Amino acid sequence: MARVAYRVSHLSKTFPKQRRPANDDLSFEILEGEIFGLLGDNGAGKTTLVRQMVNLLRPDRGTIELFGRDVATHPGFVTMTVGYMPQRGSALNRLTVAEALYLTAHLRGLTRRQAAAERDELLELLRLTGIRNRSSERLSGGQRRLVQLAVAMAGRPPVLILDEPTNELDPANRRHVWDVLRDRNERHRTTIVLITHDAIEAEKVIERVGIMREGRFVALGRPADLKRAVSPRRHVELSFVPGKEPALPDGITPWRRTEDTWWLTVDHGQVPALLAALDFTTVTDIRLHSATLEDLYLHYVS
Amino acid sequence: MSPETSAQAGHAPAAERRPPSRRAQFADLLLIQLSNYRWSWRGMIVTGMAVPLVNMLALGLIGRPYGPEYLVHVLAGSIVVALLFQNQNNVAANFAYMRAMGTLDFFATLPVRRYLLILATVIAFFLLSVPSILVTLLAGVLVLGVPVQLHPLALLVLPLCAVPLAGIGALVGVFGRTPELVGSVTLLITIALLLLGPVVVPPSMLPDWVVHTGYASPASYAASAVRQVLFGPVTGRLWLDVGALAGLSCLTLWIAGRGVQWRER
Repeated sequence: MARVAYRVSHLSKTFPKQRRPANDDLSFEILEGEIFGLLGDNGAGKTTLVRQMVNLLRPDRGTIELFGRDVATHPGFVTMTVGYMPQRGSALNRLTVAEALYLTAHLRGLTRRQAAAERDELLELLRLTGIRNRSSERLSGGQRRLVQLAVAMAGRPPVLILDEPTNELDPANRRHVWDVLRDRNERHRTTIVLITHDAIEAEKVIERVGIMREGRFVALGRPADLKRAVSPRRHVELSFVPGKEPALPDGITPWRRTEDTWWLTVDHGQVPALLAALDFTTVTDIRLHSATLEDLYLHYVS
Repeated sequence: MSPETSAQAGHAPAAERRPPSRRAQFADLLLIQLSNYRWSWRGMIVTGMAVPLVNMLALGLIGRPYGPEYLVHVLAGSIVVALLFQNQNNVAANFAYMRAMGTLDFFATLPVRRYLLILATVIAFFLLSVPSILVTLLAGVLVLGVPVQLHPLALLVLPLCAVPLAGIGALVGVFGRTPELVGSVTLLITIALLLLGPVVVPPSMLPDWVVHTGYASPASYAASAVRQVLFGPVTGRLWLDVGALAGLSCLTLWIAGRGVQWRER
């Protein structure tokens, strides 16, 4: 059974001159090796939560434990365990990319030789080799984000907390980042906590999700379970040879029709019967959609 | 790198690793802060060299008839001008920049001690100010004809002169709300430190109240110490200057250290 990486208990935080708490009595656990996503609208309290988890912000009430140790009383353990990528800011941006990675890896406890190897590996992994000798302040926003991610990963911390890691990235780099994170999680059992607005793409990697609104969790669980609770129905898009309309099981009727495509909504349990009834010599394509993480997010946030 | 090759390379899991020694932390932080030459070299030329040179030439050439003691004051004061701009103002700008860019937060998430960061910053900017000091000194010797009587204590005294000025810079940088405000405040402090005390002109040419105000100013002690170790003679007054500079260094760095919030409330 996996160990608990983070245990957050009754965490509350209210900023001065604010009436509404940024975090309001939050309690949850994140298991070791899990990829945990935090979704929520702007101002929902996600960044406040993770800043407390990395010990940059002092909670008003409640406790945060990292592998059983209180982060408030074990700051050294937190810095050796967690790599943090903030939402904004650009630390070490006057160093070259290679220097920033090397020095961060060394400051996280690697020897000079290991830090150099780690630097080269991360440059290759995140496709930064071509800009290794450029200072971050001369890079594009997307390149800078990739450098910040690499800096968070330097020294291979067992926990990564990433605040909107794919912001400003182009689609190819976004996809690459999700692949890198999934690979890091699978190979090294790295626990990853990520805040993202990129719900559709993040769905490929997120194992459990917390959706926040006004400082509280409005949903917390595995995306599949949450989706079933929100919408047990499946949407089907059925394409066929024009004029050869497919036969459907009793009780299923299209809610929209064109000459060669029907749109249907079915219960999860009706899917096998639907597939069995179809004549695939005339059906040219079939697409089955369940609710996406984005649907889930919109459902809870709106 | 696969887990196998990772093990071959000797990577212990991060949580089981020991944080780097203080010496290693300091060396890395010093390297990081020395990289500031990439932006500060322009300031090094303009405010670190040009302003002290203009100050020295203007006051020195106009006041040449006042004699050698006056010229020594002007040259030592111009070196303090270089120290002020290169240490106080640049350290303030650097802390303000680090706050604005999230660099202080970044260091707070690393196994790094904040007093080592402050120390590395102060020493890095002192090292970056050495060319300005040398250029000002050389120009003073060549143009004003002031003879140098270098005392070995200069190696201790010159860095010590820079520390309280850098400490004031760290204070302003840490507590200033915005980089713009920090820039304005450090400029005001620079002007005040230069004018309120016998920094660039001898005390005999200043009103008493200005001379007395100078007792509270690190720039006055720095100018006095610089005069003695670079141009002689070294007197008992040097120990008062060194004591005052050391005390002000400890005070300003201690307050700045308290002000660097590793953990926001």
